[in-house]
Amino acid sequence: MSLTRFLPVPSDRMGIIWSLLSIRDAVVLEYGPAGTTHFSMSLYGDIGIEQENRLFTTHMREDDVIMGDTSRLENAIIEIDKDFEPKVIFIVASSCSAVIGTDLRGVCAMVAPKVEAKLITFEQGGFRGDYSVGLREIYKLLSEKIIDGDGKKIEGTYNILGASIGSYRCRADVIEIKRMIKEAYGLECGACMCLDSTLEQIKNIGSGGLNIVLRPEAIETAKFLEKKYGTPYVFGTPYGYRGSMEWLQSIGMLIGKKPSEDIMQELKKKTMSASQYKMYGRMLKRDKAEAYLYGDAETVIGLASFLNDMGINAAYMISMHNLSGLKEIPADIKYMPVEKERLEILKSLRSKLVLADDTSKRFLDCSNTFLRISNPMIDGALVADHMPVAGIRGADMIVEYVSGYFNTIR
Amino acid sequence: MDGNELLGRLKRLSEIEDRNKDIHSLTYAQFPGTHCPLMGAAMAIRGIDGAVMMIIGTDECAYYTKHMTIYSEDWGGLDGRCVSVTIDQHDITFGCGNKVEEAFKELMEERKPAAVFLVTTCVPEIIGDDFDAAADILTERYGIPVMAVHTEHFKCENHMPGVERTITATFKLMEDCEKNGSVNVLGQRMGRFESTELFRILTDAGVKVGARIPSGCSLDDIKKAPSAKVNIVVNEIGLPLAKKMKQRFGTPYVFFDKFVDPVHISRAYEVLFEALEVPLPEELEALKEKAQRSVEEGKGKLDKVPFIYGNTPFNTYETCAFMSSIGMKPQLIQCHGINDTDDESVKEILKDNDPYITQSANISPMQYIYDVLEPWLYLGHEYAMRLKKKKIAQVHTDMGGAMLGYEVTGYFVEQLILSAEEARTLRDEGINEEKTVTMGMSEMSPMQAMTMKSGQMERGAVK
Repeated sequence: MSLTRFLPVPSDRMGIIWSLLSIRDAVVLEYGPAGTTHFSMSLYGDIGIEQENRLFTTHMREDDVIMGDTSRLENAIIEIDKDFEPKVIFIVASSCSAVIGTDLRGVCAMVAPKVEAKLITFEQGGFRGDYSVGLREIYKLLSEKIIDGDGKKIEGTYNILGASIGSYRCRADVIEIKRMIKEAYGLECGACMCLDSTLEQIKNIGSGGLNIVLRPEAIETAKFLEKKYGTPYVFGTPYGYRGSMEWLQSIGMLIGKKPSEDIMQELKKKTMSASQYKMYGRMLKRDKAEAYLYGDAETVIGLASFLNDMGINAAYMISMHNLSGLKEIPADIKYMPVEKERLEILKSLRSKLVLADDTSKRFLDCSNTFLRISNPMIDGALVADHMPVAGIRGADMIVEYVSGYFNTIR
Repeated sequence: MDGNELLGRLKRLSEIEDRNKDIHSLTYAQFPGTHCPLMGAAMAIRGIDGAVMMIIGTDECAYYTKHMTIYSEDWGGLDGRCVSVTIDQHDITFGCGNKVEEAFKELMEERKPAAVFLVTTCVPEIIGDDFDAAADILTERYGIPVMAVHTEHFKCENHMPGVERTITATFKLMEDCEKNGSVNVLGQRMGRFESTELFRILTDAGVKVGARIPSGCSLDDIKKAPSAKVNIVVNEIGLPLAKKMKQRFGTPYVFFDKFVDPVHISRAYEVLFEALEVPLPEELEALKEKAQRSVEEGKGKLDKVPFIYGNTPFNTYETCAFMSSIGMKPQLIQCHGINDTDDESVKEILKDNDPYITQSANISPMQYIYDVLEPWLYLGHEYAMRLKKKKIAQVHTDMGGAMLGYEVTGYFVEQLILSAEEARTLRDEGINEEKTVTMGMSEMSPMQAMTMKSGQMERGAVK
């Protein structure tokens, strides 16, 4: 992997910071040159994260780099503790402090007696991998350091694990998932890790009766909660009608309930209707109904299965992030880190349904049908929280594009 | 936070002895913090048509810089002139020279650029890869100019060194030429030079304008820059290049900053036309008188108006000295530092005032300062509604970024008078939030304002 022409895949550090800032009352202090923090504002603003009085930088001077002076970090921690009185301060290393080997844990251990806040460190400087690695790390560390409730179950509640604001339409997906679970089982979401929940809610996540794990990076947290609090979990995001139906049924099996008849009837009807597209596929003489999918692995896998239900073969399933270290990932999805190789594929596509990011769109010829399912989002702004990719509403939207796609192929 | 306690950490202007160490930040934990020189380098390269920026740094550095360029026509959008080589753990241990060479080969095969800036970031500078040598090797191998620009942020306080180092690096592109009586413009960061008073005065006087580095020039313009008779340095970031050109090509330079004080503008015009050996245009006298009338009007309407200086497109200390000279009261100045060229302005400010001095780009704690100092005006980017609630009027000066000459005085004084009137109204009536119907620049957060500015910059030049 050498020349990067477009936006690189976000790093582990970026995944950590956007996840932390998605916890309502989390305060993040970056130990590093201020420019990175300032530069990051536009990205975090684009994905809907509030930063003021929540994200801070210490800045770092040459003296600090050469001599390893950490006094500005110590002073900043004490100051934030006094001025904002947060329950927790998350201290995140920068690439600079990681390279010079600053012992953040040691500094925090030294400062801890002087402050009220709990200090949690992330020593990754952006070199351990992409955002997927960062998500694994954040869920793991939150499990170890934050989750600490008595585990007394609150009836009728569940939690969502693995929501990542860096994923395209994450908030809309979570809203849709909550709507479907409410409609199917009348359950309420207790905590969502990490989206719009408070630290207190995450701390008491053991009180939920069920965990719904949206992406493989959060599996270990689900296992941890199962072991610690006996909370069962369901893995997967509901994509497509059949996928949503099976997903709801798997929840029902765990909680010993049947989903509401209304939602299941709706899903059955829509599954039948969507399967009609298979017939269109069989009638094709010139083209093949094929798709190219690029994005978060879980999204790609889920949507490929949905497209298959409609007679569209997923010819390319490409994960945006590295798959090593992730379990529960089927073999037919690939990770292709070399930008040039992906470009060559994109440029060769003809009459395909392309579900990918805006960068991919730039290299498609007009015979293809494009639908954005992944960040980075370049064209336009993300506003609507009622337009998910997941769930019934997400499937409705995708069917519209599939319908349009079949109009373009012969 | 206690505003008095915060101010207690700061030194007043008269107490600053060590200009590197005595200017403290209001808080240790800053938000948003300063921009980094990598961004400065990107700002400069954007204005140099045909040059490719190759960032060598972390995914994060590459991501944010690319993100800044993708909506810009000057950059060529998503598939434009900003590319990167992202480094990983392996590169930190073994060096990233091979990876850069491989990426450079790909770049040359695909795009055949006419010139490339290899822009390093914090990590490659810490591990000590020698990119000056790499640039020389690549220059020789591919026969195009390759220039290394170092942008480690831990060695400087803001983005300006990145702009400065980039434009200084263009020296490598320059060739011996016969002098043709033209002028170059070095260091213009915002707007197009063609829209300035100075441009009009020069062209009316028959003086041709050559290279405008970095705001809107081609590689060929830079190559021929030594043909100019005089270099006009419109910001001190252009001084290192001007000095190199003077030494190598014998091109004299004139410092013509974005002055607001007509006395300084007058002096700059005189020195410039003397260097050009062209008579001083008569029109300048009328422009000077008009500017002085603005100053007199300002003295009448702005006397004793207290203000906090955040940022403007103008020189921080020259601006504050000018405001002091018309009777205004600087209470707190946010700055990146104090230079030797600021000495005269510092003396002017200290005649009647002794403001607190602090590092800029840390707006979060400012709200506690407002309660203590109770300024009427805030110059720079801030949350407008937050200011209004404190009965402070925001002074907008962004448009001044595209001005040079006496036009700056008139524009600036007009903005000050308008804002002072708004402050009086706020003090008399309090704020009426219903008045704020449309979301103009004043209603935006600093980040929104900056985002809009970066959008505007696409059509203009370097900030």
